[in-house]
Amino acid sequence: MDTLSRRKFLQLSGAAAVGAAAPLLTMENIAHAARTRPLPLGTPILIMVTLYGGNDGLNTVVPYTDPLYFSLRPDISYAPDKVLKLDDQLGLNPAMTGIKTMWDQQKVAIVRGVGYPKPDRSHFTSMAIWQSGAPVSRLSSGWLGRWVESQALDPMLAISLGSVLPPLLAGDKRSGSALPLGGLVIPTGTFAKDCQKLAKATSSDNKLMAAAATSMRTLFSVSNTITPVLKMPAPVADDLPTVNGGNAGGDSNLAQQLDVVAKLIAAGSPTRVWSVSLGGFDTHANEANAQAALLGTVSAALSRFASQMKNTPRGKDIVTMVYSEFGRRVQGNASQGTDHGTAGPVFLIGDRVKGGFYGDQPSLSKLTNGDLAVTTDFRDIYAAVLEDVLKSPAESVLSGWTSKGQYF
Amino acid sequence: MENDRLEIARLYHRFGFGPRPGEFKAALVNGLNATKTALLSVPAVDLGATKVPEPNIINLGTRPAQKSSELIEFSIALRQQIKDLPLWWLDRMALSDHALTERMTWFWHGHWATAVGKLNHAYPMYLQNQTLRKYALGNFGEMTSAMLNDGALQFWLDGGENTAKSPNENLARELMELFVLGVNRYTETDVRELSRALTGYQIERSSGKVTINNRRFDPGVKTILGSSTNFNGNSAAAHLVTQNDCAKFIVERIWFRFISSQLPVESAAQLESAFTTRDTSKLITAITDSKILSNSNYTIVKAPVEWFIGVARFLDLTPSSLKTPGQLLAYLDKLAQVPFNPPNVGGWPTDESWLSSASAQTRIQFASWLIKQADLTNLAAIEPNKRIAWLQDELGILAFSGRTRLALNGVKTNPAQLLQLAICSPEYVVSA
Repeated sequence: MDTLSRRKFLQLSGAAAVGAAAPLLTMENIAHAARTRPLPLGTPILIMVTLYGGNDGLNTVVPYTDPLYFSLRPDISYAPDKVLKLDDQLGLNPAMTGIKTMWDQQKVAIVRGVGYPKPDRSHFTSMAIWQSGAPVSRLSSGWLGRWVESQALDPMLAISLGSVLPPLLAGDKRSGSALPLGGLVIPTGTFAKDCQKLAKATSSDNKLMAAAATSMRTLFSVSNTITPVLKMPAPVADDLPTVNGGNAGGDSNLAQQLDVVAKLIAAGSPTRVWSVSLGGFDTHANEANAQAALLGTVSAALSRFASQMKNTPRGKDIVTMVYSEFGRRVQGNASQGTDHGTAGPVFLIGDRVKGGFYGDQPSLSKLTNGDLAVTTDFRDIYAAVLEDVLKSPAESVLSGWTSKGQYF
Repeated sequence: MENDRLEIARLYHRFGFGPRPGEFKAALVNGLNATKTALLSVPAVDLGATKVPEPNIINLGTRPAQKSSELIEFSIALRQQIKDLPLWWLDRMALSDHALTERMTWFWHGHWATAVGKLNHAYPMYLQNQTLRKYALGNFGEMTSAMLNDGALQFWLDGGENTAKSPNENLARELMELFVLGVNRYTETDVRELSRALTGYQIERSSGKVTINNRRFDPGVKTILGSSTNFNGNSAAAHLVTQNDCAKFIVERIWFRFISSQLPVESAAQLESAFTTRDTSKLITAITDSKILSNSNYTIVKAPVEWFIGVARFLDLTPSSLKTPGQLLAYLDKLAQVPFNPPNVGGWPTDESWLSSASAQTRIQFASWLIKQADLTNLAAIEPNKRIAWLQDELGILAFSGRTRLALNGVKTNPAQLLQLAICSPEYVVSA
């Protein structure tokens, strides 16, 4: 890798987006946009759920009839009678009851063995590759950031929950926006006016000082008529303590993030892409309990979100995609955990999804260096999401990639 | 007298935690060389730091069983220690006379980024902090060897779970990627082989004591970065540190945190050769002696702790004496940076990540809270028309812009509001 791209990856290792500075939104900004120019009914909405740390795919979609599964992972396998059976070979992790219900309703597509060529086992590099959508050219922008740049300028178009924008939504010149959780208290009165003066751009500002000034500007763009429900500060309780696997980034409050997303979608926010995340999947040790707790959180949060949306006119417009930067090594380690691996399953959920399995299940008897072979390139999924959900041409965003899956 | 203002401001804000009252003006008079010499000479005794009592952080022993009567007492003591630990360190940062040592310790904490949450014991984190301080300006090879035997780091990266029978790669991978060499400067085989060399460590969680269990160690020959021998942890770490890529990487990381996280390393070969012996102080000297310091392109955003300590030094505040210290930690938490609690093993983010509107809002409230607890007599004694120029010198700011002067001018008769805007201004939040 040349110096420049290495630098870019080092920047990514700070877990923040590079490139264009992200506009920071307030609830009030979004509420105002939702009232004045709501998203037209029937416009598909994409929710990206990023699982940070490397989710163990084999214990998410379990090959419960494969003897190799049990012999390779004696300490951390799920017994056949415990898994939630999807067909006569595969079953979901027992904690994923909510997703199983949606599967039974034909609303869940599971794409198996998803990855990219020459897998990288660094959390930061692999997540950068997944989020850039460019495993070969290794762009520093995110694939949805490039999509944002292909659309008309609108800071509400793609929004990430939390104050730090993921590289996923970062473009070269324009980026998606970030919505910090928790209510903001805005200064008022004459002092507010003095604060506002600091927010003005000035020609002597360098790039970072200009960004510091901008960060104050958004504080004061308040609309006077705000939907009261949106004005409530979001609860701040974590879903669960991340005891194990908690050192590879990501947020810890998925349900809270999705609650906010649900409210804003219902209010009519003109947003077509939302990004939320959950961290803690780096389960090198004592995996079973930690991963089950996390998958249970994902499953419960997503089914709660679906039920919140079900009775709104936009419920049928929502497509949710769940992915992680890599799966884990097939063979368990001595610590009842697993090390960094390669391919893993991707979930697509929603009324528009044609439920079922896609892609081949990677064979446990044909491993590459102890790892699962990649059977589906993630760009096949990105292309389908771009064209069939976001109704935009995929080729330009994905550096000329043309093949796509048929999941919708 | 205004010559070298940029360089001196950078020495104070990046290689220290900002000037105390009067310091910056005096430094401008003394000149760049004298300021640099003072910065780089580590005193035998730091009188300021000795004012900070060592915290009452001890080995609490194994966690009592669930529902046992001792558990409550244990939990209360543990919670208190986990709160006292960052307050103690913040006090050291604010009160040390020789700020570079604490600044480097802070850098290394973000480098060997270990969070207390998973360990859930304060004592080993306290020991790790002492190790980081001991080697802060010392030999990186010795630091690496010490960190490999650090209970908090070993536990954080599952080192105790890594055995000959079944290696756990967590520590080996991060040692190469994030601590010593940098990403893509090794192969996957190197990771697997290094993890074999790192087998056998056992950690006592509450004391952080690290021992080697030979029965769990893999004594075989390992091939790491082209060398084959029966490496163990210490010899493998030493082998990594001798690689040229180690110099490259440490230069990159120090550049990233002290000079610019946006622009690539300048004069890399020169800086790498200054680090030939792996002496960190030589690398810092090479940077401060080079033209890098006067290149105005290299701006950087102060991380929340750096911003707060700068304000505390200016206002002569002792962090643990603020009312209430819990509120202080809550503000830092809202700004997403609490010492001993980095977000992940890659450390804290940089620059624009600290500039969200949520952070700006918190900073305004935080500043107001701090100023209410400070003595502003000095500022109030200055004639209102001279206050902005006075603050520019006292805070060590290169130059307030016309925009900021205009804002400050509106509140110049109100010392508290004037100071609040000054420390929230882009010129103070960003190191020019």
